[in-house]
Amino acid sequence: MKTSKFLVLIVSFLIAFHSAVNAQDEPAKPKQVVTLRYFNENNSFQYLLLQSWSKTGKKLEPVANKAFQVYLDSNSSANLVGKVQTDNEGKVKALIPAGLKSVWDSASTHTFLVMAEGSGKEDETATEFTITKSKITIDTTNQDGVRSIAASVMKFDQGNWVPVANVEMKLGVLRMDKSILSGGDEATYTTDSTGIATAEFKKDSLPGDSKGNIILAASVEDNDELGNLLIEKPVNWGVPLKEDKSFFDQRALWTTRFKTPYWLLIIAYSISIGVWSTILYLVFQLFRIKKLGT
Amino acid sequence: MQSSTSLTAEQITRDLLPQKFGRRGKIWVAILVTLCLIGAFAYYRQLRYGLVVTHMRDYVSWGIYISNFVFFVAISLVGSLITAIFRLANVKWSTPLTRIAEIIALSAIVFASLIIIVDMGRPERFMNLFLHGRIQSPILWDVIVISTYFFISALLLYFPLLPDFKILLQFKEKTGKMLNRLYRFQGSFWKGTKDQFRISDRSINILCIVIIPVAFCIHTVTSWLFATTYRPGWDSTNFGAYFISGAFLVGAGGVVVAMYVFRRAYHLEKYITEMHFEKMGRMVVLLALLYLYFNVNEYLVPAFKMKKPEEEHLTQLFAGEYAPLFWFAILVGMLLPILILLFKKGRKPLPVFIAGVMVVIGAWFKRYLIVTPTLLHPLLPMQNVPDSFKHYFPSWEEWAIAMGSLAGALLIITLFARIYPIIPIHETITEKNEQNENK
Repeated sequence: MKTSKFLVLIVSFLIAFHSAVNAQDEPAKPKQVVTLRYFNENNSFQYLLLQSWSKTGKKLEPVANKAFQVYLDSNSSANLVGKVQTDNEGKVKALIPAGLKSVWDSASTHTFLVMAEGSGKEDETATEFTITKSKITIDTTNQDGVRSIAASVMKFDQGNWVPVANVEMKLGVLRMDKSILSGGDEATYTTDSTGIATAEFKKDSLPGDSKGNIILAASVEDNDELGNLLIEKPVNWGVPLKEDKSFFDQRALWTTRFKTPYWLLIIAYSISIGVWSTILYLVFQLFRIKKLGT
Repeated sequence: MQSSTSLTAEQITRDLLPQKFGRRGKIWVAILVTLCLIGAFAYYRQLRYGLVVTHMRDYVSWGIYISNFVFFVAISLVGSLITAIFRLANVKWSTPLTRIAEIIALSAIVFASLIIIVDMGRPERFMNLFLHGRIQSPILWDVIVISTYFFISALLLYFPLLPDFKILLQFKEKTGKMLNRLYRFQGSFWKGTKDQFRISDRSINILCIVIIPVAFCIHTVTSWLFATTYRPGWDSTNFGAYFISGAFLVGAGGVVVAMYVFRRAYHLEKYITEMHFEKMGRMVVLLALLYLYFNVNEYLVPAFKMKKPEEEHLTQLFAGEYAPLFWFAILVGMLLPILILLFKKGRKPLPVFIAGVMVVIGAWFKRYLIVTPTLLHPLLPMQNVPDSFKHYFPSWEEWAIAMGSLAGALLIITLFARIYPIIPIHETITEKNEQNENK
């Protein structure tokens, strides 16, 4: 009896072990993840950035060439923002077409719906994102030589623009890679009850263009209610950049033909003149031979 | 066989006058013309559709055309070797070889220039090189030095021909009316006066002196097209001497091949004797050893250090994709000719001819190996590029144009030998007379 109990135990253990091993052998089914972000640049250019991922365990892989349909508020054909396909990085941009202006103007809050094409689940929403219409402005002040940047954030609510408090944003100078260098001491600033965030500008020796222009910017990033907002303003607060032409103004091997180094000119022309004058002399000798024979 | 010193002037003249093509000659010319026409058609396609008909892409932008160019430039050095150096060194036995060497040099330099234009995507802009060229660029140095070498080679071919024109004009019935008219246009003014000889001899001596540095320049500058670029396989201070030694070898190889062919085709055994093959064989073995020495320097020193950028390039040559071609070029282009020519029996006409053919074929592939593998191993990794950018094998248009250019060079040499004496008649007679007087 004891032996049979023992056998049952061993068999059960083996079955359990086999199942566990098989379970490990089976590859985990990748999960499709779709993210959607809303961008509003300078209150005039709105677009959506869609990203498609395949998640296996903790590993995220971009999904290229995947088609999606993006809708505004409802998935009817009249509300179609566009049909898009992801690139090699699994990303795609969708611009909000002018034809949807009446839908856009009809409400202060909108929801973007994303449907995956060719998945067999066309009726299911892959992801959605709700935003409140908003705008961001930027202004500068100069009091007693102290320069400041002030940005205000407003949202559209019941037909009026109202300030939005407690919005975290970056305030500073727009770099060439579109990131923002903070203009003051803090990395980010938060709007007060009037919807305004202010930063004292302390980066006063930044190189600008030839006239000293730099671009100030304020940006809200991935706000749950407002999405991504960016506003830019060129100001004359930089140090004018003087183009250094001396590098190309010298006689060197890498410059134009009008700036050939003298040593090279002398050597090249001496050799050429030396050899070609000899050739001309020899041609002249040919004429002499000809003259002697005629 | 009649002793060469017992030949009379009349007999020498009769033997060395240009001869009409026989059946084999006509077939040979027909083959060359056909190859040239196929090459011309391929070039027409390249002009019409652009360089896309070639397999050159972003990385391999210098393919078989530039390999061919370097080969032509190399073989053209033979003119200065045989004519100038031997003449200045008072080497008398080289007289029957001088004209062969000079016509090889001239035809090679003509096609070296043409193949550069073929390599250009917009050949109609060729004049911009002269109108807007920067003297800082080694490419402009090459253009200048090639044109200069062409004129000097042409003069060095023409001056020694002058006394032969007088002889050729006396054989109007044998040479034909057309050729007679050509000879009259080119040299009827040559009367063979003392003053004419004095000026001509002096001019030839000047040419022999001038052509040597110019020939060195053309090969050094061509090597600098590569060596002034920071690339694995090209970044070498050795390149000038390496190219010149290689050029001497392929030039000498070309001459022994031509010597054998002309000797057989025109029955010139009394003039191009076994002694010439013996001496040229020694010359080729010396030059092959010299070139081998430079090759050891060129490959073994970087291989000893195996700097990272060089590593992939050298591995590809020694044991990778290009290994068969590399070892073929080393074995056939240098080692086997050395083995054949080191022995006295190997310096008989036929073995010397075979060794010469090996040297020339090996040299052609060697130029390909200098140009192409380096371009496929840039310092920055090749990323996100089509697969066709990562490999290179010439398209049929490239092969047709390259073969057409080689056929064109051979056609010039063939037609020259049909029109002019391939061995200088007057010089041969003078030397025989001198030998007879010294007896």
